Amino acid sequence: MLSIVILTIVATITLYLGFQKQRGLIIPFGLLGLIFSLFCLVNNVQLWNEWMQGLMSVDSISKTISIIILVAAIFILPFFNLFNKRGNEEVGDVTGLFLFSLVGIIMMVSYRDMIILFLGVEIVSIAMYILAGADRRKLSSNEASLKYFIMGAFGSAILLFGIALFYVSTGTMNLDKLTNINFSSLSQLSVLIIFCGLAFKVALVPFHFWAPDVYEGTPTIYTGIMATIVKIGAFGAMYQFITLGSGFIPSWMFWLISFIALASMLLGNIMALGQTSMKRLLAYSSIVQAGFIVIGFINITPQNAWQVIYYLVAYTLASLVCFFSIHFIEEQKGTDQISAAENLYSENPFLAIVFSIALISLGGIPLTAGFMAKFFILNNAAYNNSITLVVIALVLAVVSMYYYFRLINMMFTNKINAINWKIGWMYQFLFVILSVLTIAFGTMPALIVDWLK
Amino acid sequence: MYSVLILILIPLISSILAFVSSKKWAGIIAVGASLISLFYFLILISGFNAMHEMTNNDSFKWIPGTSITFHVGMDASSIIMSLLTLLVIPLSLIATFTKKEEKKSSYYGLMLLTLSALLGFFSAQNPLTFYLFFEITLIPIYFIVLMYGGVERKKAVFEFFIYTVFGSLIMLGGLIFMHYKLGANQILDWSNLYYFTFDLNTQYWIFAALFIAFAIKSPLFPFHSWQVKLYSQADRQTMMVIAGILSKMGVYGLLRFNFVFPDALQQLSPYLIPLCIFGVIYGALIAWRQTDITKLLAYSSLSHLGLITAAILSNDITAQQGSLFQMFSHGLVAAALFFVADVLIQRTDEQSIMASSGLAKDNPRIAVYFFIIVLASIGLPMTSGFVGEFYMLWGMTKVNIWYGVLGGLTIILSAIYMLRFYQKSMFGEAIGNNKISLPLRLNEEYVFIIVVILVISLGVFPKTWIDLSKFAVSQFINVKSNQ
Repeated sequence: MLSIVILTIVATITLYLGFQKQRGLIIPFGLLGLIFSLFCLVNNVQLWNEWMQGLMSVDSISKTISIIILVAAIFILPFFNLFNKRGNEEVGDVTGLFLFSLVGIIMMVSYRDMIILFLGVEIVSIAMYILAGADRRKLSSNEASLKYFIMGAFGSAILLFGIALFYVSTGTMNLDKLTNINFSSLSQLSVLIIFCGLAFKVALVPFHFWAPDVYEGTPTIYTGIMATIVKIGAFGAMYQFITLGSGFIPSWMFWLISFIALASMLLGNIMALGQTSMKRLLAYSSIVQAGFIVIGFINITPQNAWQVIYYLVAYTLASLVCFFSIHFIEEQKGTDQISAAENLYSENPFLAIVFSIALISLGGIPLTAGFMAKFFILNNAAYNNSITLVVIALVLAVVSMYYYFRLINMMFTNKINAINWKIGWMYQFLFVILSVLTIAFGTMPALIVDWLK
Repeated sequence: MYSVLILILIPLISSILAFVSSKKWAGIIAVGASLISLFYFLILISGFNAMHEMTNNDSFKWIPGTSITFHVGMDASSIIMSLLTLLVIPLSLIATFTKKEEKKSSYYGLMLLTLSALLGFFSAQNPLTFYLFFEITLIPIYFIVLMYGGVERKKAVFEFFIYTVFGSLIMLGGLIFMHYKLGANQILDWSNLYYFTFDLNTQYWIFAALFIAFAIKSPLFPFHSWQVKLYSQADRQTMMVIAGILSKMGVYGLLRFNFVFPDALQQLSPYLIPLCIFGVIYGALIAWRQTDITKLLAYSSLSHLGLITAAILSNDITAQQGSLFQMFSHGLVAAALFFVADVLIQRTDEQSIMASSGLAKDNPRIAVYFFIIVLASIGLPMTSGFVGEFYMLWGMTKVNIWYGVLGGLTIILSAIYMLRFYQKSMFGEAIGNNKISLPLRLNEEYVFIIVVILVISLGVFPKTWIDLSKFAVSQFINVKSNQ
């Protein structure tokens, strides 16, 4: 609880600092606030917990997810500085919005009352609508913002409708007080609609149409936030709903989940094959990855939730590197077309190496976290007697390997007269940490899994 | 302090050194590190007693939530293949010294990573560790070919990569299925798997998954379309490693796993062995008509590997013993042939076999070394090629006389295309290219001498190796008969 309060206060002060034109202070202050908030979360500071009155509860899984989100935010925030350098005045606003969105995500993953879930989703979404349009001089950014707003508002409305039906059929908003379990058609419909609303936020097929357009138009660093932190939040919310209301979920939901997983992997892979823009490619690839994660939800319990969380960690590490690399390439070349990455190894070997490690991890080659994550999910699915699902997922993984490695294939050349360019040492340092973590978690998964358990 | 893990870590750590050091030192570091690994390996196995199943086991808890361990160790077949790796990679590194200016330090770093991954692959003692190294061996080789080689190399290596990854993911599916059938608390070492029998239907599925992966990796007849492109586009020093060692990974895997599905093998081998033998003849006939050196060697490799696979599938102990010996011998000879191709192409700047005609007159030393290597490739007595092929054909004849007869065609056909290659490139009218008379450089001479000594000594004194490979392939049968 305290960590949310701290984040809110820090975000407000950040906005104020933006008004006062103290722009140099904003990011260090935001980082300080994030670290302090993380500290409170890790040490279980119990201040003001009684205020929540059963609306929210920090259990072990939601605590783990919140910690992962805050750590990811610490890696993301320094990159906001780049926006500042280009002469944009908005750094105070965007930092403030980002911190507010973190509040929303922590609410999403630790809710007990459905109203808190809706509040959390809305806080995140509104912040993200604005961030999508942050580059206000660019038409595509405005377009992305509007599209995301319209589609997102639609998704939120669906979610709210589902919550209303949930209240009608059970007589309570609180998942802890769920006693009147029945499988009336109304309650089944409410589960379906709430799931659809959340699937909207993670961009699962068939609710994925907004993702490629929005990803493409949004400034790349904010796309990174959309693809990682927001998705973790929505998956966290999905987890809480499925485990807490486990008696309430009709069994056909799990068939539906398998179907959605397959559809996401299939459609995402097919669409990704033909893309020429790196951001659109990663948008479709993130749909595929979301499909993979959803396989883990088929038989999720608090005991094996660590497999899904491990996947989320691996995916976050790799995606952040990918989006930040694309940001730098875009800065340099002025476009995010795949051809912009050509000869990257000759021009900037550092970026080429970290970018390919991230792509290899997304593809799922051993010794990277991406492989272990896929292995956990598939092994679990196999023990759940879904061998067919495993085989299809593996065949589709080959397809995804095709477009990830097509990108790597372009980057590595031995061109002699290439124009070299560099990125700042601080960003290099962050890239190195993210890549080393990817490899370390992939080589010795016990490092993080023991903590996740 | 003698452990297989350290053997894997020596090249891994020195690869970091090679990456950061300058162009001049990287090559020296790479050769030094691979030779240190070789000596460490020799010390490691000096106390090896073939009667014990394994030596220098290292097993760690690896994947949490399952009982899967990271397990490396040396048994008889690991020793044979690790030794091949540790001989071929230093030779290929020494071969790069001829045109050192073309290679950056990243080449040497990636080569050491390959060495590390290959040592891990050959010493893996459970299926998941095996899979891990099977797939990561691909990564450094992929990057090497991506950066060094012919004009069309990117396309070629991409095709190779996608093919192989397809195979290995199918294999992963097979291994997950196998693990599922065994139950959660089984430890899946080879030695434990010996005692476990799957039902026939499970065996079919596992066999199908693994056989596709190995057939693509080797490659075998219907899955070979990536091979020619890669072999003709990759850099020749890299090809020494790919043709010498990487192409043995598939057949080695088949030999490793064949006890998992003995009944499926029994049922399917009458269909698969003719396919392999068809591949043998097909590869040899196409090699006969090639004028490009690298393509000729690619098809010759296809032909030889087909015979090795047929021998493994025949499930006869003599044939399998011969196949293990032949893997070692063919690895050495294939690497040597690509080295010859490198020596010739550097002198002519063309990949055609006719380009260097008349070279024997100017450079008799090259001609003599080359001739010995050609003889070993054909399988003439007193060379290493003979022993392996003899055992394989003998074993296959015991199973079915026609396997022996048709498989035996390989000796005649390989004699035809290899001698044609030798004759066209060494004798005939001299074209009058001045570069042809360039004498052998010191490093080239070293590589030739080492290869020739190995080829002849293995051909004359094969007993130790034959015994070792007999032990390697009969482990499983011993376990079954003791049960």
